Amino acid sequence: MLVSWEWLSDYVDIGISHEEMATRWALTGLNHESTAMMDGVPVIDLEITSNRGDCLGHIGIAREASVLLQSELRIPSPQLKPADELASKTLVIENQFADACPRYIGRLIRGVKIGPSPMWIQKRLLAIGVKPINNVVDATNYVMFECGQPLHAFDFANIRGGKIIVRPARDKENFIAIDHRTYQLDSQMVVIADAERAVALGGVMGGVESEVSDSTVDILLEAAEFMPLSVRRTARKLKLHSPSSYRYERRIDQANMDWASRRCCEIILETAGGELMSGSVDTGPRLPARTQILLRESKIASVLGIHVPWERSLAILVHLGCEVTGNTNDADARVVAPSYRADLTREIDLIEEIARIHGYEQIPEDAAVPLVSSTKRPKDIVMETVRRVVCASGFDETMTPSLVGKSSTSTISPWTDQDAMSTLIPLLEGASQLRRSLIPSLVSARLYNQSQTNRDSQLFETANIYMPRSSGLPGQQFNLGVIGLSDIRSVAGTFEEIVHRVCGPDFMQSKVTKSLVAWNYLAPKSGIVWQVEGETIAWVGQLNRSIVDSMKLDCSATVGEMNLDMLLEHARLVPQLQPIVPFPTVERDLNLIVDEATQWQSISSAIQKAAGPLCINVLFREIYRDTKKDGDGKKRVLLSMHLRSSTETLTSEQADTVMQSVLAACKAEFQATILQ
Amino acid sequence: MSLQNFVDSLDNLLDEAKKSLDEVTSSEHLETLRVKFVGAKNGAIKAVQKLMGAIESEHRPAAGKRFNEVRDAIQSALDAASERLGGSTEKASNELLIDPTLPGIRPVLGHLHPITQTIEHLKDIMGRLGFNTTEGPEIEDTWHNFMALNIPEDHPARDPLDNFYLATASKQVHNPTDRDAMLLRSQTSTVQIRVMETQPLPLRIISLGRVYRPDAPDATHFPMFHQMEGLWVDTNVTMAQLKSVLRLFATSYLGSDVKVRFRPSFFPFTEPSVEVDYWWNDNWIEFGGAGMVDPNVFQALGIDSEKWSGFAFGLGVERLCMRRFGIVDIRDLYRSDVRFLRQFAT
Repeated sequence: MLVSWEWLSDYVDIGISHEEMATRWALTGLNHESTAMMDGVPVIDLEITSNRGDCLGHIGIAREASVLLQSELRIPSPQLKPADELASKTLVIENQFADACPRYIGRLIRGVKIGPSPMWIQKRLLAIGVKPINNVVDATNYVMFECGQPLHAFDFANIRGGKIIVRPARDKENFIAIDHRTYQLDSQMVVIADAERAVALGGVMGGVESEVSDSTVDILLEAAEFMPLSVRRTARKLKLHSPSSYRYERRIDQANMDWASRRCCEIILETAGGELMSGSVDTGPRLPARTQILLRESKIASVLGIHVPWERSLAILVHLGCEVTGNTNDADARVVAPSYRADLTREIDLIEEIARIHGYEQIPEDAAVPLVSSTKRPKDIVMETVRRVVCASGFDETMTPSLVGKSSTSTISPWTDQDAMSTLIPLLEGASQLRRSLIPSLVSARLYNQSQTNRDSQLFETANIYMPRSSGLPGQQFNLGVIGLSDIRSVAGTFEEIVHRVCGPDFMQSKVTKSLVAWNYLAPKSGIVWQVEGETIAWVGQLNRSIVDSMKLDCSATVGEMNLDMLLEHARLVPQLQPIVPFPTVERDLNLIVDEATQWQSISSAIQKAAGPLCINVLFREIYRDTKKDGDGKKRVLLSMHLRSSTETLTSEQADTVMQSVLAACKAEFQATILQ
Repeated sequence: MSLQNFVDSLDNLLDEAKKSLDEVTSSEHLETLRVKFVGAKNGAIKAVQKLMGAIESEHRPAAGKRFNEVRDAIQSALDAASERLGGSTEKASNELLIDPTLPGIRPVLGHLHPITQTIEHLKDIMGRLGFNTTEGPEIEDTWHNFMALNIPEDHPARDPLDNFYLATASKQVHNPTDRDAMLLRSQTSTVQIRVMETQPLPLRIISLGRVYRPDAPDATHFPMFHQMEGLWVDTNVTMAQLKSVLRLFATSYLGSDVKVRFRPSFFPFTEPSVEVDYWWNDNWIEFGGAGMVDPNVFQALGIDSEKWSGFAFGLGVERLCMRRFGIVDIRDLYRSDVRFLRQFAT
């Protein structure tokens, strides 16, 4: 809302500078955006919150100043000398849509002479960025920016049948507005029609066929109330916003409509001449009941935490225009808010008024805050570990938008077979799918870095993925996603370290199974999943060639995800000491020649099984190939075993016995050749 | 590997070393040869030593003996060459071959995102003030995102163009009056409602997380951002305590004593409502919105607003993060550029 400092002085004497006043307004609810000088007059831009429609005119702003400065507010009182003939003889108004337009007042002025407005009006309008048109249109604008009530003047000669009908628009009814554009309406919109066609779109814009022109002689002046929701809907749908629609959306003061109509007539008569017909045609007031609000002195203190003198509280409300009954000796009062303050309906609303006028600077910032304990959530504890391990593994954390577009990575969906959900409007261009996996985002992140010649970006993200559900809110799963280089083992190792640390080594050994998966978005034989009781907790694999090629990744990438919700379910938050065995560990190495197809998991579990409880660890060392000696299709697997007894020092004979059964098992199960 | 093969390769190595060391004429070349033969990492001696593992155990002692002889012989040849080139024997000893001024080998560690760092910082401070962390779903129903927060059906904040409503198979066009309609939450205040629905009073909580609003991206706007929401409900919570908690918070976060200013504002779910500014570095800095929980919110949850009172506040995490780290374009936070991400090493 642009406020002319000069215009304001019509209504209130402000004894302080405009800078100081702007600060006072800002600290009491009218946020100061900026001040510009227009022809030597300060024009102050104030931000008006949506609950303060009363401040969308100079009088409302002046009222705030008068309350703050405790000075008098002067509201002009229109002086009219109407002719004898009643307006109702010439004008009929029929309201068929009272839900959208509770009240409509029409007045008639005959014999105006259209011309430019006097300079003082033009200057005031120009100062607040409104282009002067002619004396009649300027008068309607002037009064709107004075009191916040929109007004509209019709050329009465073009109101066919001398009749105004307020009605719902017909579906697909066409309407040409004063911007000369044609709008297609629907039956939820309200139109002002004459006997034959729509002449205005209620609360939003007038029609071109009935607008005031140089040849206009008789004027119909409309002052109406249109309901906020109806106007907002219409303005939005047609993308047609006006100062009028802005004010109707924030609710106008029905009790002020007639004043605004008379005030506008006064200015038209003064600037364009003519003769006002007697009275008005009014579809009748439908004023909402004004409720009495109980205000308790004790409640003010209990909300604000300070004592405001009761007389001061009541004086503030009176100054704001409230009717207050009760006296200062009582502990409570009954308050009726003024009609222009539809936002004041409850005790708490009144307390806010008292607080803001009394001044929030009165509220101390050293009130006692009782000490209570707070605890870290298990999730926070687990997340610290997860982040520590992933960072220590060399991955940088990124954050990417939760919605993704379609690409060849869209098929990556290890957690659900259902289609991704989408939003009605995209988050960013083309991105309207709620991601089912973090990998597509991480691939995009890798690509962005590639385009910036940032080599070897290894990234991780922890965020939700979303899955459709048949009822209730969609599924949401908190995931860790990583994108590494080509080496699968380092990503797998990072994941295993996380589970190891968060859930403990026992859990890892006894509850987690690791198996191969063949998903079509992964390179053949590269995918593995870790499962707990048949449910996947994590997976890792290399992107398959066709994705790498179609996304133009310059090298293959290992990707993987972990379900952190599931990790948290199995978290062991505080490690418990396992007794240290006081007997030495014997290390024995083994070098096996086996078929290429034989996988580590089967070798190690066979060894573990054959070795029995004395074997506490089977460590992978190395794989190498000597095709000259071993032939094609064979590999050599080097490994070490840790043997230890928890009750005695192991003898080399005991260790040899264990090794013999291990060797036998390897020969039997894998036809392994053992290198000595 | 047989013992003979092993011995042969040792002999070959010794021959090669002696030959090249005899011919050496500059100390630079000598250093190259030193690295080549006895370098700690990839020296030839090291390579041969590795082969020893593959020798049958019965031959290992013999192999080890020969290995030691060859190693010592090469070292002597190195020392001799060094002496010949003008250095003392002592100089050529291993000690001097260390260059401690070489750059250290730094581990390759990842970095936490500045938003994560900010969120952890905020949780830490609020935890000390007695606020427990909570969270709620990012996809919400209109009850939690609007109605329970006293945002009625005709409120512009519910407009389909101002929110990310989900498209559903049954109804392609969303009807904002539909209670079951779902959307990406536009504020973390939804969590307030979920917590008050389920947890006993009194409570002090914060919730942190992603929120979504259709803003065109520019230096200060992004359609996805993070909020921190605080809520304290107890029998006698006042606005003075709201101001005091926010001052304690700001003092902790900014590291020096700061002043707090309230400006009246309007939010449907608080009354009175205020904008919060901090006086910091000779400027009033906008920090976020706050207010006393609106009685309508309590009422919708069946909480007696005569008995309980509370305050709530909401802050934009990005703004705090950007100010702290000197980031000027919010879009940089979500581009994944490692040249950006790697700067916030802590």
